[in-house]
Amino acid sequence: MVIMELRDLHKDFSGLKVLFGINLLLQKGEKHAIIGPNGAGKSTIFNLITGKYTPSQGKVFFKGKDITGYLPNEITRMGLARSFQITNIFRTMTVFENVRNAVLSKNNARLDVFSRLSKMNGIVEETERILSQIDLLERKNEMAGELAHGHQRAMEIGLTIATDPELILLDEPTAGMSTEETKEAIKLIERVSTGRTLVIVEHDMEVVFSLAHRITVIYYGQVLASGPPEEIRNDQRVKDAYLGEEKE
Amino acid sequence: MRNSTPLRIVIGIAVIVLLLFAPRVLTIVQIRMANEIAYFALFAVSYNFLFGYAGLLSFGHASYFGLGAYTTALSLKHVAGMPLLASIALGGLVGAAGGAIIGFFCVRRKGAYFALLTLAFNQFLWATAWKWHKVTGGEDGIGKFVPKSPLNLGIATLDHNQVEGMYYLTLTVVLLCLAAGWYLTKTPFGNTIKAIKVNEERADFLGYQVNRSKLLIFTIAAFFAAIAGSLFALFQDFVATSSIDLGMSTQVLFMAFLGGTGSFFGPILGAVIYVYFTDWVSSLTNRWEFILGVLFILLVLYFHRGFIGLIPTKVKAIFVTQKGS
Repeated sequence: MVIMELRDLHKDFSGLKVLFGINLLLQKGEKHAIIGPNGAGKSTIFNLITGKYTPSQGKVFFKGKDITGYLPNEITRMGLARSFQITNIFRTMTVFENVRNAVLSKNNARLDVFSRLSKMNGIVEETERILSQIDLLERKNEMAGELAHGHQRAMEIGLTIATDPELILLDEPTAGMSTEETKEAIKLIERVSTGRTLVIVEHDMEVVFSLAHRITVIYYGQVLASGPPEEIRNDQRVKDAYLGEEKE
Repeated sequence: MRNSTPLRIVIGIAVIVLLLFAPRVLTIVQIRMANEIAYFALFAVSYNFLFGYAGLLSFGHASYFGLGAYTTALSLKHVAGMPLLASIALGGLVGAAGGAIIGFFCVRRKGAYFALLTLAFNQFLWATAWKWHKVTGGEDGIGKFVPKSPLNLGIATLDHNQVEGMYYLTLTVVLLCLAAGWYLTKTPFGNTIKAIKVNEERADFLGYQVNRSKLLIFTIAAFFAAIAGSLFALFQDFVATSSIDLGMSTQVLFMAFLGGTGSFFGPILGAVIYVYFTDWVSSLTNRWEFILGVLFILLVLYFHRGFIGLIPTKVKAIFVTQKGS
């Protein structure tokens, strides 16, 4: 079953063409990696899917519905969540409050002016469950902005899954991590993406090849190749354009 | 986490008892001053819902104070048998409606554009009050609208024509509004406003309707400001353009900053200091506004946590709920 379709997506920023007709079909439950050199347009694709930008041309379908031009908050409420390449958390709120923000939104309590927040035990339980999933439970009272980089990245993923989305988009979740941290991050991503569809933009090939069922290579705003990891690894065009010698 | 709730309740009750018995020991002039502090405290707290909680810098908050004041005055003047309490509620509702309409346009803009738009709407309302002489009395204002018969509360009567009676009326309404406002900051919506202020983009990507939430807090802030304006009108038994002009918009901003915009209670402290300070300085010199200006500059430059920032953290911890669960 197709959960998402990108149909002929184009994007230009005041004359600078970034994407030239991206087509992509995403099956429900698949783990899909988008790779490509810097500036290829990977993050732009995420920004078009999640409503940060509107495409210059083309359409985005999610669960069969045309969501082109929808606002980020509308798309999120439909069950699609994303993380950011540059950590984007509530820095002056605690770790607990960060995740609770997402849990409250998921429970449609955003405009609730009657309940007393501290008495909402269900919200507290759900928040703590997610905190333990991302291994931040014992740091729940720390200020999010003061966490170490690796923990902030985990926080970023925690916010993304806490709205209980069907489709998760992770934008370079292991950026700036050490090898050790990256290994932990892979385990974390595997854990939280169980039963969901995952799209991940990543430079680290270890992450890509250990997680993805299917890989799409973006090169200068176009799809260069798309297929299972083995096929991509042996694709001559991909080797020339991106993987190069490092993987040989 | 240490739980300071019982201590907080004791202090809260002590303050309320103190406020209730204050007229027994205060002079008439002092009671009038306390009355003034009460409605300005509500006005300043309502301003802080925008600035302190939502991070929205409004230069036009007198719009709603004025709408409340004029609505109460006009309804009492022209509607025969208009109950006093209903005129306050009506003032609040008209202010909230004004806030919803003006807010609808303002919350779509950010930073300087938001501030300038609130200013523009304020100037528009002020000009209307100024020019629409037939209704508002223009510069001459509207006076003598407070009904003479005492307020019948069923079990007792309250004579608002007496200084003490008006004080109790104002105090009761203000305390009810402050309690409701305080509760609001403890609800999921209060948290929504905080989250949007801290990181608007992330809130949007978590499903929060940013503009709708801002509009709601804008409307609530306008409601409380308008209630404060209604109480102001009743207290003065007179309303003129000074209740809706730029001076009033700056005054509330000043009170909030003076006390401190980082906490719920800061603006209340700000109102206390502002009313006492202006009274004292204006008894010393005619140039009191100049001194106030200098104070404001110093405040913004060196002292932006306000007077509440001077209170030791241990004392403040009693009032401020701890972070986390």
